[in-house]
Formats: sequence, C-alpha cells, structure tokens
Amino acid sequence: MTVKEAVELLRKGFSYAKMTKYKEALAYYNKALSLDPNNPEAWYLRASLMIDTGRSKEALLDCEKALALDQNYAPAWSKKGLAYYNLEQFEEGLYASTRAASLNGNDVNAWYIKGVCLDELGRSDEAQEAYGKSLELEIILDIESEKKKVGR
Amino acid sequence: MKTEMPLSKPIRRFLNTTEELLDTEISLLRQPDAESGGTLVDIYTYDIERNVIIFPAQYIGLLKDFIIAKHCTNLMIKGAAAKRGEYKVCSYTEDSVYRGLRQIYLDALKDEVNKKDKLPVQKLIRMLFILFSHFNEDLNELPWNAIVNASVYHRMPKIRKTQLYHVMKESKNDMDEMMDQESIIPRRYFVLNKAMFYARDMFLSKTLPADELMPVLNIPQMKKFNHLEVKEMLTTRWTHTAWYQSKVFGDNMLEIIEKPLNQVNWSAEPTLDYYYDLYKVGINLSNHLLGYMTMRDWYVWEEPKHLLAAHGNKGNYEKKALKKIFGDLIADSWGDPV
Repeated sequence: MTVKEAVELLRKGFSYAKMTKYKEALAYYNKALSLDPNNPEAWYLRASLMIDTGRSKEALLDCEKALALDQNYAPAWSKKGLAYYNLEQFEEGLYASTRAASLNGNDVNAWYIKGVCLDELGRSDEAQEAYGKSLELEIILDIESEKKKVGR
Repeated sequence: MKTEMPLSKPIRRFLNTTEELLDTEISLLRQPDAESGGTLVDIYTYDIERNVIIFPAQYIGLLKDFIIAKHCTNLMIKGAAAKRGEYKVCSYTEDSVYRGLRQIYLDALKDEVNKKDKLPVQKLIRMLFILFSHFNEDLNELPWNAIVNASVYHRMPKIRKTQLYHVMKESKNDMDEMMDQESIIPRRYFVLNKAMFYARDMFLSKTLPADELMPVLNIPQMKKFNHLEVKEMLTTRWTHTAWYQSKVFGDNMLEIIEKPLNQVNWSAEPTLDYYYDLYKVGINLSNHLLGYMTMRDWYVWEEPKHLLAAHGNKGNYEKKALKKIFGDLIADSWGDPV
C-alpha cells in the first residue's frame, strides 16, 4: 500500500514541479521518499527539482542514492552529468553523461551534456560528434512536437 | 545571467558579453507553447527591468543555443542603437494607415475587375488593414532576420548545422504565409510578400551556404523556375503566374539585400559600435525595401513605444481610414465587438 501511495505522491509532486511550484513539489517528493526510499525514480525526481532550483550539490547526492539502488538507471546518470556540469566538474560530467548515453542512446540531454563537457575540456572534435547526435535527436523531438501542434 | 540550463561554451560567452556591453540582464525562459523561433522581450521595447529570451520547452540542446544566439544578436543591435538614443522601429500613424489602406484598395479594385468570383465588399474592406499590418510586421522582422542569421553564421561556427535546420523550418513557415488567401488578396501584395521571403532565403542560401535553402529548390511552386533560360521563361504561360512574378521581384529584392550586407565585415571585433553599424545597415536596407515596394509613406520610423501605442489604437486608425475611403458604407459601429 505504501508503495502505491508513494507513486501517487510522486505523480502529484511531478505535476507541481511542471508548474514550477517547487515548494509544493518538494513536499510531495519528500513524503514519497519517507514512504518508499527504495524507488530510484523518486530520488531522480528530487534530483531534477534540486537542479531546477539551483541546488546541484544536493542533486548529486540524490542521483547517487538513485544509482545505489539501480546502477543502470539511465535518467539518474544523465541528471548526474548535468549536476557535475553545473558544478564545473567537467571530467565527472563527461563520465556520467557518457554512461547515460550508452544506457539510453536517445537521451538528448545526455548527448548535449557530453558535448558541452568535451567542449569545456578542449576536446572540440569529440564535442562536435556528441553535439551532432544530440541535434539529430532534438530535431526528431521538434518534428514530433510540431506534428502534435498541427493535430491539436 | 543566472540560469541552471546547460549552455554550450560559445553561447555562454556570447550571453555574458552581451550583458556586459549593454550593461543589462538576460533571463532564459522555457515555455511549452513558445513560438518555434523563440521570442525576445527586451527592455528597449517594453517597460520592463530585464530582457527575457523565451523558447519552446522541447528545445533542450543546440536548438535552444541557436535561439539564444539569434535573439542575443538582435538584442545587441537594438541595445547599441538605443544607447545612442536612436533605436527606431517601423511604426504607423492615423494618416499613414489611410495612405496604405487607400493604395491597397485601389490595387484590389484593379484585380477585382478581372476576377470571375468577386470578393464580397465587407470581406475586401476587412482585408485592407490585415494586409497593411502584415507588411508592417514583416518589415520589422525580415531585414533583421537576414542580418542576424548572417552574423550568427559567421560568429558561431559550432551551431551551423542547427542554424540550417532552423532556418529551413522558418523559411517553410514563412513561405506558407498567405497561401490560404492567395485568391483573396491583391496579386501585387501576394507577390511582394513571397518575393521578400524569396530574397531573404536566396541571401541566406548563399551566405550559409546551403543549396537546400534556395526557394527554386525547396518551394514546390518555384521548382519549375530552376535552370530556365530567359527565352523559355518569356515565352511560356509561367510569366503570368504569381510565383514566377515573385521570383522576378525577389531577384530584384535580393540585390537590395545583398548590396549592403555584402559590405559588412562579419568577423570584425564585436563592439557596441560594430552592432550600431549593423543597426544602420538594417535601417538602410529596410528603407530600400520600402521604396522598392512603394510603401515609404505607409510607415514611419519611430521609437518602439510609438508602435506599441499604434497597436493600441489600430482599431481606431483603421475605422477612420475606412471612413475616409468608403464614407457612409462604414457605419459608426464598424469594428465594435458584436
């Protein structure tokens, strides 16, 4: 029962986060985590919120928690890459985003963060490759989104 | 600039330089329903404290970076002119609206004579100001679009592929403009509208350089005009189509666009003076386009707040102009909400 309740709380928290009502979202996420701390998605969602509110160090800790529960949880690797990038730890950011992109090749964010980290590390040619992949995926997303608009 | 969004190195640098040179602040805002080309809400146009660049939520990586680069360049141009107290936009007044609407009406009458299905009078009357506004918007956008894209291309080589995708998408949308109204609006204005975008795209296809952007390749109605010999063009019925005419007018407009822009040193040091010079080039170019389209007395160069006020008064301007043209045909309640 608590697991089901926790999922419902996460859903509510996520809808608040989408409306940038971070305080409310955080309250729901915290409650969900107290009910079920073994769900990597819950840690990942809180990490996302931390990033959105400029708390990259806390985000990093939440990503670690998620990955401790599931080493192959791609979204947490992706978010971890972003957190490292924000903290200007580009080597670590590159490692995390590379891991994310290898687990989920369709993660635009992961490829983009990989590109920016490589760029910061002065590895321009490799950065261009990662940017290229990121752009390819972003264009697909954009075309899908345009189609949805037309269909609306 | 305070943001938690990841940005590629050249974009971050450009944002910082823009803020520094203009002594201003730029916020980035992601919105699900934002315009696909993004929007710049700037302190030189609106009474606000900081500039905001808005872009669609699905733009996560380089597409977002391109939108930022584009609007930052635009902001630099506006800011450089504003800092000298010279920033002006293409606006309109009660009198200029009358001149514009009257001219469109006269051109519409010429078209109507040869039309099988005549346009209902009320529809024709409503079309006049819509068309007038359309050209006002396009003239405030199109010359700057060419300048901004050329600048971004030369200054940000890392996002060129992204730029090409975006420009192609934009070009397609612009060319689709007015398509539904082709049979309604006077031929002259349909042709001029298409010609402006044709010229912009031709300029960008040469600048970027990207064959895919050439209207004679990517616009279905224009494909047949590619690689045609002059003799062939002159002896076929194509000469009578709006699309062929758009190409002819567009080729002339391309010269108007190319002449000043080919003289710009796109890799010169990007100082405030440099962007001010770009502003002057844009104004000069816009004036030439206005002259070519014989619309010089339709619009006035004024401060942005003048244009905002004009937008606020547009219903009134339209009604007064229509009353002058059509007299009693326009009731006092014309334009009032039903």
